Amino acid sequence: MGRELRSSAKAAATWSAAALTILLQGCSGGSSGSGLVPGPDPPASEAQAARFLTRSTFGPSAEEIHKLSVIGYTAWFDEQRNATVSLERPPLSQLDAHGHNVSQEQRLEQWWKIALRGDDQLRQRLAFAWSEIFVVSDVASALVGDPIGVSEYYDTLARDALGDYRTLLEDVTRTPVMGRYLSMLKNQKEDLANNIRPDENYAREILQLFSIGLVKLNADGTPQLDAFNQPIPTYDQPVVEGFARVFTGWNYAGATNWDFAEWNYLPMEPWESYHEAGTKLLLDGVVCPAGQTAQQDLAFALDLVASHPNVGPFLGRQLIQRLVTSNPSPEYVARVAAVWADDGNGARGNLLAVTQAILTDPEAVQGNVTHPDTFGKLKEPLLRLTALWRAFDASFPGNKYQYWYPDDDLGQAPLRAGSVFNFFTPSYAPPGEIQDGGLVAPEFQITTEQRITSATNRFWECVFHGYQGYSNPSADTALLHINPEIGMADDPAALVEHLDQLLMCSEMSQEMRDIVVSMVTDTDPADRRQRVLEALYLIVTSPEYSVQK
Amino acid sequence: MHNRSNGNPGLSRRQLLKHGACSAAGIAGLHALWNLGLVSSAAAQGPGSVNDYKALVCVFLYGGNDSYNLLVPRDGTHYNVYAATRQNLAIPQGNLLPITPNTSDGSQYGLHPSCTQMKSLFDAGRLAFVANVGSLSYPMTKTQYLNDSVARPPQLFSHYDQQFQWMTSITDSNQGFGWGGRVAELLHTLNGSSALSMNITLLGANTFQVGPTVAPFSMGTGGPQGLAGFWGQQGQRRYLAFQQLLNRQTPNLFEKAFADTQKRAIDTNALLESALSGAAPLATAFPDSYLGAQLAMIARTIQVRDQLGVHRQVFFCGIGGFDSHDNQNQDQPGLFADLSASLGAFQAAMAELGTENLVTTFTSSDFGRTLTSNGDGSDHAWGGIQLVMGGNVLGKEIYGTYPSLALDGPDDIEGGRLVPTTSVDEYSATLAKWLGVQPGDMATVFPNLSRFAHPDLGFMS
Repeated sequence: MGRELRSSAKAAATWSAAALTILLQGCSGGSSGSGLVPGPDPPASEAQAARFLTRSTFGPSAEEIHKLSVIGYTAWFDEQRNATVSLERPPLSQLDAHGHNVSQEQRLEQWWKIALRGDDQLRQRLAFAWSEIFVVSDVASALVGDPIGVSEYYDTLARDALGDYRTLLEDVTRTPVMGRYLSMLKNQKEDLANNIRPDENYAREILQLFSIGLVKLNADGTPQLDAFNQPIPTYDQPVVEGFARVFTGWNYAGATNWDFAEWNYLPMEPWESYHEAGTKLLLDGVVCPAGQTAQQDLAFALDLVASHPNVGPFLGRQLIQRLVTSNPSPEYVARVAAVWADDGNGARGNLLAVTQAILTDPEAVQGNVTHPDTFGKLKEPLLRLTALWRAFDASFPGNKYQYWYPDDDLGQAPLRAGSVFNFFTPSYAPPGEIQDGGLVAPEFQITTEQRITSATNRFWECVFHGYQGYSNPSADTALLHINPEIGMADDPAALVEHLDQLLMCSEMSQEMRDIVVSMVTDTDPADRRQRVLEALYLIVTSPEYSVQK
Repeated sequence: MHNRSNGNPGLSRRQLLKHGACSAAGIAGLHALWNLGLVSSAAAQGPGSVNDYKALVCVFLYGGNDSYNLLVPRDGTHYNVYAATRQNLAIPQGNLLPITPNTSDGSQYGLHPSCTQMKSLFDAGRLAFVANVGSLSYPMTKTQYLNDSVARPPQLFSHYDQQFQWMTSITDSNQGFGWGGRVAELLHTLNGSSALSMNITLLGANTFQVGPTVAPFSMGTGGPQGLAGFWGQQGQRRYLAFQQLLNRQTPNLFEKAFADTQKRAIDTNALLESALSGAAPLATAFPDSYLGAQLAMIARTIQVRDQLGVHRQVFFCGIGGFDSHDNQNQDQPGLFADLSASLGAFQAAMAELGTENLVTTFTSSDFGRTLTSNGDGSDHAWGGIQLVMGGNVLGKEIYGTYPSLALDGPDDIEGGRLVPTTSVDEYSATLAKWLGVQPGDMATVFPNLSRFAHPDLGFMS
C-alpha cells in the first residue's frame, strides 16, 4: 500500500467498459519507437555509460562500457532488441532427452551462464525484474521437481520481456508452472452438490500483484482517494470470485483425461466441460458474458485487466524500482505510465518502450544530483555479485557454473522466493530514517543483520578465494581475471581509480578513495595480487558500492 | 500518514463507522505520544526496576492456516455439520484426537490426528485455543458485514494486508509499526542499556516487531554469525578500513541504513556469541524442521538471558506452506505434525530450563480459510483458530466462541468464510498485558482496543 497518500485532484484517466479497445501491436520487427536516450548520445563519458549499464544489465565490463560509449544508446538498444534470446530450457531438455536427471541446480547453472555471459543483457535483466513481479518459486512443492517447467517459465519471461504486456500476461497465465503455483491448472467449475467453488488463488494474485494492485491509482501512481481521504479498492470479493470462474477449465496440453498428471511445459489448454459457463462479474461492473469458451473468457478477462489504467503506473513504478530507484517521483512514474499507455505509435504496454522510458528519464539521469539523500536503491545482493563477476570476466571452474544455492548466502536466487510476494515487497521500508521519512527500500527486507553478514562473508570468499590461479577453487565460485589490475598494483591511486570506473561508475567519494588507497598502500608492495584483492574486498562490501545511485 | 476527520458534520455516525474514522486519540497521535513520553510504563519502570524475566514467542503460520481442521467438533451433531460443509476436506471423525476442555460449551472437540504433542500439552493444561479470531476494525456481525454498515478491515482476504493487520493490530492504519514493536517501545528500558534489541527474529524482517524506534535483530537458526577473514595483522588492517567505510558520514539514506545494519550485526553478534559460548547444550531434542530449528535457537537464547542481562524479550519465528489452495489433504498433515512436534519440543525445553512460566508462545496467521472446497483445497477467508502455550496459560480451554460451521449459518458470510467473533486486538492485548504493559498504556499500544468487549480474554494467569 502506498505510504504517501495525496489528496490530489488529478483526474485519473477515465475508464469504462466501452473503452476496451486495445491495440496489441507488438514491437517485434517494428521500430523501437521513442528513440529516447539519457543525455548526449553517445554518452558523454565512460562513467555515464557504466551508470547506464549498471541499471540495464547484470553489470558493466570494461569492454561493454567502452563499446556503449562508442556506439551510443540508440544503437545499443537496437542491438539488444535484436540479440538472440538466451534460453535456459533447451539445454536442460537435451540432458533430459539423453536420460540424465535434471534438477533445479542445473537450472541455476543455466541462469548463471546467461546472466554472466549472455549477449542479450537488457532482455535478461528485464526477465529477472519480471521474475520478481510474476513470481513463481521452486521452493514450492508443486514446482521443485520440475526444473524444465520452471526454466521454460523463465524463458517465457525472457521472450516477452521486450514485447507487449498483454502477450506476457497471457503467456504467463497459461504456463503450467504458474498453473500449479497458483492453482489455476485443473481449476474446475462450481459443483454445488459437493460445496465446491472455483479456486480463487490465481484470480486474486493476478489482480493484486501482476496487473492492477489493490487500490485505484492516479496516472502518477499515487492512490486515488475518496471523500473520506481513503484509498479506493480496485475490486472486492465478488470480483475475485468472477475471475476465479473465468480461470476454470484449463489442463495440461495433451491431457488425455482431467486427472492427467504428467508434467509438460507447453501452454495449458482448455477443457470446456470443466469451464464455468455462466456470467462472471469482473472489474468495475464489467460482466463477462455467459456461454463463451474458456479461451474466449480468458481473452476477455485479460483484455480487461491489461487495459485497466492502473497497470501502467502500478507496474511501471515497480520496474523503476527494480532498475533505477526505490522512490521515483510521481512525475517520473507518470512519464513512464504515459509511455505504457501509448508508445508513440498508439500501442499500449510496449515493454521495450517502457524500459527505454525508465532508463532514459531525466530523473534517472539527474536524480542523484537533485536528490542525493534519497535517490537510488540498495542493489539486490545477487546483482552485487553478478556485477563483480562480469566486471572481471570471472569464469567458474570447468565452466560449470555450479553456484546452486545463492539464496543461502545472499537471501535470493532466481525464481526461489519464499512466496508469491517475492523476496521483498515494493512497499517495504526498513525501520529508521527511511521509514520515518515515508520512503521505501524494498531490498532491505532481505538485508537483515543475519543476511548482511552472510553476504559480506560470501564476498570475502569471492575475492580472497575467487581469483584465477587460486590453488583450491570451489565449484560454486567463479574466478576473477585480475591480471591487468595486478599490473597496476604499484600505483595504488591508479588501481583504485580503475576499480572505481569498473565497479562504481566513477562515483566513489574522496573519503572512501582515501581509505581504500591507504589500505592498498599499507599492503606488502611485493604481494601485488593481495593489493588488488584488498581493494576489491573493501569496495564490494562497502555501503557506497552496495547502493546504486 | 493520512488524517481522518471525525468532525465533518455531513457524516452520519453510520458513515463514520463505515469509513473507519478513528477515535480522537487515534492513530495520528500515536507517534506523538511516544515522542512526548506520555506513557506511564517507561517512565515508571526504569532500568533495573524488575528482576524477573518474561518472553513472548510468536509463531506465524504464513499463508493462512486452515485451522478448522486443527480443532474440530467431534460430537455427532456438530461433526455432521462440519462434514457436510467441508465435504472432501473433512477429517474423518474416528481419526480425531479427543480433547475435553475444562469448560464445556456443549460440543465435544478433537484435534487433527497429526497433533499428538498438542493434545498432550492441552491435556496437561499448558495449551489453550482461541476460537474464531480475526482482524476487525469494530465488532461486526454477519448482518453488519452483508449490509456494509460497519467499517471492514481494508483489503479483506489479501495475504499481505491481513498479515499486516495481524502484526500491527491496528486495522485502519498503514503505519508500519507492529504491536510487538510498540510493546518493546515501552518495555525495552527494562533491559538496561543492552545493545541487543528486545525483539529478535528468526525469520527475517517483519512488521510485528518494529516500533517507532525499535527494530528487531535478525539471526539465523545457527545463531549469531560473525564476520569472516579478519585474522592476523593484515586482517586487522583490513577490519579497520572496513569499519572506516561503515563509519563514513554520508547524506544518502540507503548507504546509512546499510552501514547501520552491518554495524548492528557486528556489535550484537559479539554480544550473543559471548553469551552463548558458555551455555550447556540443551538435552531436549527438536524436530529436524525449519520451525524446530528456529524454536531451538530461541530456547538457547532464552537459556542465556542472565548473561545477556535481559528481562523482557519478544521472539518471532514461523513457517510458510499454509496457503493450501491445492493438495490440502496431502499437505496439511505434515504441516500440523511439524507444528505440533516443534511446539512440544519447545515447551519441553522451557521445562528443562525452568522457564515454563516465564515464556508464552502463541500463533498468528493471515486468516482462516473457506470451509468449502475448491476441489482439492480451500481459499482465503477470515476468522480462524489460534493457540497459546506456556506455564502461565490457563490451558485446557477454548477461549472465545467456537463458531457455527454451517454453510449460510450465523457466522458464515459466504462460502464458508466466517466473520470473526474475537478481534486480533483482544488477543494481542491479552498477551501484551501478561508481558507487562500497564493498564494506563494499553490504549496507546492498542488504540482500537476500547471498541471491543474483552480487553483481556482471560487465557493468561
